[in-house]
Amino acid sequence: MLQVTINGQSHAFAEGLTINEALHSLGTEVPTLCHDDRLEPYGSCRLCSVEVTGLGGLVTACNTQLREGMEILTHSPAVQGVRKTLLGLLAKNYPAEAAAQFPDKQFHRYLREYGVPAGGSRTAPPPAVPFMQDASHPYIHVDMAQCVTCYRCVRICEEVQGQFVWKAWHRGDQTRILPVRGTTLLDGGCVSCGACVDTCPSGALEDITVLARGLPTEWTKTICSYCGTGCEVNVGTRNGAITTIRPSLDGPSNHGHACVKGRYSFDYVYAKDRITSPMIRRDGSWQKVGWPEVNQFIADRLLETAKQHGPDSIGLLSSARGTNEENYVAQKFARVVLGTNNIDCCARVCHSPTAAAMKMTLGTGAATNTLDDIELAKTILVCGANPTDGHPVTGARLKQAARKGAHLIIVDPRHIELCDYATLHLQLHAGTNVVLFNALGAAILDEGLADEEFIRTRLTEFAEYRDFIREFLPEKVASVCGVPAGKIREAARLYATAKPSLSVHGLGMTEHIQGTEGIMALVNLALLTGNIGKPGTGINPLRGQNNVQGAPHMGCEPKLLAGYVPLTENRPRFEAAWRVPIPTHPGLNMIDMMDAAAAGKLKILWSIGYDIVMTNPNMHATRRAMEQLDLVIVQDLFLNETAKEFGDVFLPAASSFEKDGTFMNGERRLQRVRRAALPQGEARSDWEIVCDLAKLMGRGEHFAYESAEQIWDEVRSLWPEGAGISYARMDKLGGLQWPCFDENDPGTTVMHATEFTHGKTTPLRRIDYVAPPVLLSKEFPFLLTTGRNLYQYNAATQTARTPNDRLHATDCLQLAPVDARRLGLREGELVRLRSEQGSADLPVQLSDHVKPGEVYTTFHSTRVFLNQITTSHRDRYTKTPEYKVTAVRIEKLAPVAAK
Amino acid sequence: MPAPQQRRLIFAHIDEPGYTRDLACYRKHGGYEVMKRAFARPPAELIDEVKKSGLRGRGGAGFSCGLKWTLVDRKSGKPIYLIVNADESEPGTFKDRYILHQDPHQLLEGMMITCWANNVQQAYIYIRGEMPHGARILETAIAEARAANLCGPNILGTNYSCEIYVHRGAGAYICGEETGLIESLEGKRPYPRIKPPYFPAVLGLYQCPTIVNNVETLCHVKHIADMGGDAYAQIGTPNNTGTRLLCVSGHVRRPGYYEFEVGKITMGQLLNEVCGGPLPGRTFKAVIPGGSSAKVLRFGEKFKIKQKDGSVVELGVEDLPMDFDTLAAAGTMGGSGGVIVMDDSTDMVAALANINAFYAHESCGQCTPCREGSLWMKKISSRMVHGEARPEDGELIRTVADQIAGRTICAFGEACSWPTQSFVAKFGEEFKGYASAPKSTGSMPLV
Repeated sequence: MLQVTINGQSHAFAEGLTINEALHSLGTEVPTLCHDDRLEPYGSCRLCSVEVTGLGGLVTACNTQLREGMEILTHSPAVQGVRKTLLGLLAKNYPAEAAAQFPDKQFHRYLREYGVPAGGSRTAPPPAVPFMQDASHPYIHVDMAQCVTCYRCVRICEEVQGQFVWKAWHRGDQTRILPVRGTTLLDGGCVSCGACVDTCPSGALEDITVLARGLPTEWTKTICSYCGTGCEVNVGTRNGAITTIRPSLDGPSNHGHACVKGRYSFDYVYAKDRITSPMIRRDGSWQKVGWPEVNQFIADRLLETAKQHGPDSIGLLSSARGTNEENYVAQKFARVVLGTNNIDCCARVCHSPTAAAMKMTLGTGAATNTLDDIELAKTILVCGANPTDGHPVTGARLKQAARKGAHLIIVDPRHIELCDYATLHLQLHAGTNVVLFNALGAAILDEGLADEEFIRTRLTEFAEYRDFIREFLPEKVASVCGVPAGKIREAARLYATAKPSLSVHGLGMTEHIQGTEGIMALVNLALLTGNIGKPGTGINPLRGQNNVQGAPHMGCEPKLLAGYVPLTENRPRFEAAWRVPIPTHPGLNMIDMMDAAAAGKLKILWSIGYDIVMTNPNMHATRRAMEQLDLVIVQDLFLNETAKEFGDVFLPAASSFEKDGTFMNGERRLQRVRRAALPQGEARSDWEIVCDLAKLMGRGEHFAYESAEQIWDEVRSLWPEGAGISYARMDKLGGLQWPCFDENDPGTTVMHATEFTHGKTTPLRRIDYVAPPVLLSKEFPFLLTTGRNLYQYNAATQTARTPNDRLHATDCLQLAPVDARRLGLREGELVRLRSEQGSADLPVQLSDHVKPGEVYTTFHSTRVFLNQITTSHRDRYTKTPEYKVTAVRIEKLAPVAAK
Repeated sequence: MPAPQQRRLIFAHIDEPGYTRDLACYRKHGGYEVMKRAFARPPAELIDEVKKSGLRGRGGAGFSCGLKWTLVDRKSGKPIYLIVNADESEPGTFKDRYILHQDPHQLLEGMMITCWANNVQQAYIYIRGEMPHGARILETAIAEARAANLCGPNILGTNYSCEIYVHRGAGAYICGEETGLIESLEGKRPYPRIKPPYFPAVLGLYQCPTIVNNVETLCHVKHIADMGGDAYAQIGTPNNTGTRLLCVSGHVRRPGYYEFEVGKITMGQLLNEVCGGPLPGRTFKAVIPGGSSAKVLRFGEKFKIKQKDGSVVELGVEDLPMDFDTLAAAGTMGGSGGVIVMDDSTDMVAALANINAFYAHESCGQCTPCREGSLWMKKISSRMVHGEARPEDGELIRTVADQIAGRTICAFGEACSWPTQSFVAKFGEEFKGYASAPKSTGSMPLV
């Protein structure tokens, strides 16, 4: 400990702090313009100067280390004088109107506190080197006349986002902060994360929403409702309406960062076409009705159908976008009120294979480690994921890790942005994951790089695996997966020796017929090298949706109950708690439900926050199935494609900003969702809608919840691994990772340290390769893979109703230039993409990021309806659709004659 | 007392008729023999010689060269780099350029000895952007040396390899600041780094331990290796050892560069005898002894200088010995050795306006006091010479300067405020005069 005197008071501090950090811990603020906790100390504004006796005058608090015996004066006349002078220098030409408009901006507040007037004006003639003005970005307004040259925007873009959009140009007093190229932010390659706006201490960079609607008067801490990173954000409201969202500095998974979706894409809440009253479609047209009427209507139909065709003629789909509480209530409704296990959620179409594979191999179907481990790893395997688009905050952390020296190994058929930062890119043929991961395993053993100790103490069936895997030596399978043997060996060496090695993966791993098996092959690599159970290691799925880890975990699974436990063994426990019998036979999953509907066995489908028609593969098959249903209930914010085409009843749901609950992110962390604004119109939380129906259907005593917290307390009474995670603790600690067995348990950051969840050891699985049934042919010579774009989110239900649509207007077909030349296609030309299932029309985008013979597109746009062409092939274990491999051909469309 | 003779170590041959800058000529004059002998000695011995020599850096700060080398982190396991600071940009300074142009191999030999002594295998010469000719000369010299196996791989069969690279600056004064230089060499904007933690000796080029030495300093290393540290320390005066190059410019009859033992010649001897005194009909008014950022001295002012024995003597400007310590005691510095002389025809306000324009133009813009302050000083002095002086301007400009010095990331803050502080303090009446009777610009060019 260091003994230090601050303003005459003696204090003890731990070693290794800067003066600023020490002052911060005491709650003493010294003004600073260039410092931000997210950035390296910079020391350029000099406002944080303090007087230190013995150091010969003034030092800057932000970058000076605390030393034993220092005597520090933070507000002596000398330092106050310096600060006033510096502020005077900065304020000489600063527009006074700006300081008056937002008096609480950091810089404006200092001017007020130090009695320094802003000496400039917005009407003053521009200087010789003009200031940048840019109003062309949909979210970020730039007025560099208000720039105080603190470089925070330049540095946060570099040090946090890793985008290098801002750059200091010229020098001295003519220093100007401008985009690195072009004249607008978007020219400069901006990804609209908003970090520069968030850190700007003056008004040079500002959210357009704040300029239009005013600064927020209230802030609510909650969790972003887009991807599974689980960023903690502060939602700012004014007069009950959202005006801005800012990342929370102490967010455990985002540490003060956000992306364009979490930060800016919230205006869908106020979209003109949001439906805010219940509706029933009668004689082909939607009619607004009251809640009592719609509830009675649904209750009657459900009871009648259950009576006539049995409870299994009804299916319920819940949403990974909803809270844990809502998902728990939905599955309980299916099992308790309807008496069926026909309950599923959208995890089916994404990471079900991950959960299943990891459950089988490790005992728990969730990430083994924590996102913070990214900074600890020396080698990071990124498999079938495009984090800078799909999980931008995690993507930014991966970039930063690479910039600081970690090796990235990218496994992807496409050249993704992270490839620019990677040590190796294994550009495999789509659908050959099992081959490649087996080859990596074979190379590790062949070169004697395995962790013998780990194999001896924690693994079984090693000899069998060793014999089996020889067939996959890189030299034998390189031609199958398309990656040169030398590269496979290089990757194997890095992963096995530059430890700790961590793996993150996405849907490029799971959405295959061998999705579950591909994950098992990946898990084998971690096991062979002992990269599990330690910080900086593990298998970490990047979950695609805010609560896709939570929704199935709450029991929205036809074969599983809350806690991700098998129905068969755990039924009695739940029956005892719920005091009702639960049907013994497993229910239908979403894919089965479609089949059952097509066969006329499923009569009613209730879809909560799930656009089946838009997102399911092979849209024509989906449509044929939906047409057979007697009743389709859609519970959503909007008339989505499912509702438009097939909906009979529409229930208006509250958005994530309008309700309470919890989300479970991809690293097993439970975090609080808090209501920031009241629901629009008559919209209600999903759990309230479901509970009301349960009451009407005579099961009121099982659904007598008055708050989300009461639901949660029931969940944790039934789920031992989550028992310690109470609302009170989440409010205090900001989120906890299960397993967390009691209220003194700090939670678990690294799983499987000394044993797996299902025992001390686990077998190495021998996974054989099954070629995808899709074979390229003369008729369908191109391999299509699909993915997400940064600006749109899945079916774009939300993002297409925000200015994001200006940033990514339509899905495009990415095509290698050589293929384009061969087909005589030009950039932007509209083509018809045809598969065995159907066709879709979309414009061509030439790109080096796809290999010749492979094409890629996103699936967001309702104008394109890409899922008209994707296949019906499914994962062999979990039935997750194989979105990632479709054989297609590209047809040139005849030019439309000009009118 | 008559002025002492020049003592030429660095410039021993440079002005001899027929002396050329090619390798053959350099070797004819004994070139690279010192290096050969040095390579036969253990590196630690050479570091000791430099420590014993008392050599102080000739770039401006006068920091002990031996101490600088001692501070290098040799346990990090990382490579150690040598960077030659050839970004000679201080107004009034032109000695390094002369060495580079006329005797490049002397620098290379000094570098190679330094590299051997410090186990450096990659050395960089960062040369000022405005010296393209010097860069070409260096490239040629390095090629010659490399072809003769005097640098590059396995030098002279010693199994020791060392490469030298030339890097051209892009025209920024701030690149003379060693951490700004390192940033620039790394391909970034030359924003000086914050110290701590970025002391070059520990976290320098590419975050590796790095030695940054001035051109002249490294040439002295050759002579130290040649004659031994003890013998070198006998030259000059105690704590101000060796010789140094002085570049005299301005209002004297014989401006140019001279090499004297440090402290053996006074300002008066230099200007009046060596440089031939003031121009006809003029008298000396002021002199800046070590590059434009050094504080100005006014002829006629007296300094109380403490002697070794503790006694205090009163000296005029002419009596000041040209060494590091006396000039520091007189409130200025030996700096880069650039002596700028001004006679009674000089308008001190216009002269300051010129200097301020330079610093405002060269401020990198990273930290607030310098970026905003240097501009403000320029604006004030500029409006004074343009006939718009205000009564308070003299005091105001000095107040601004007081708020910059000591408050910036790098030493540029001092460099840009010392001229203003000293000009106003010593020629206050001229500044007052401007306020009461505005004059036109005069003949001094304004940047």
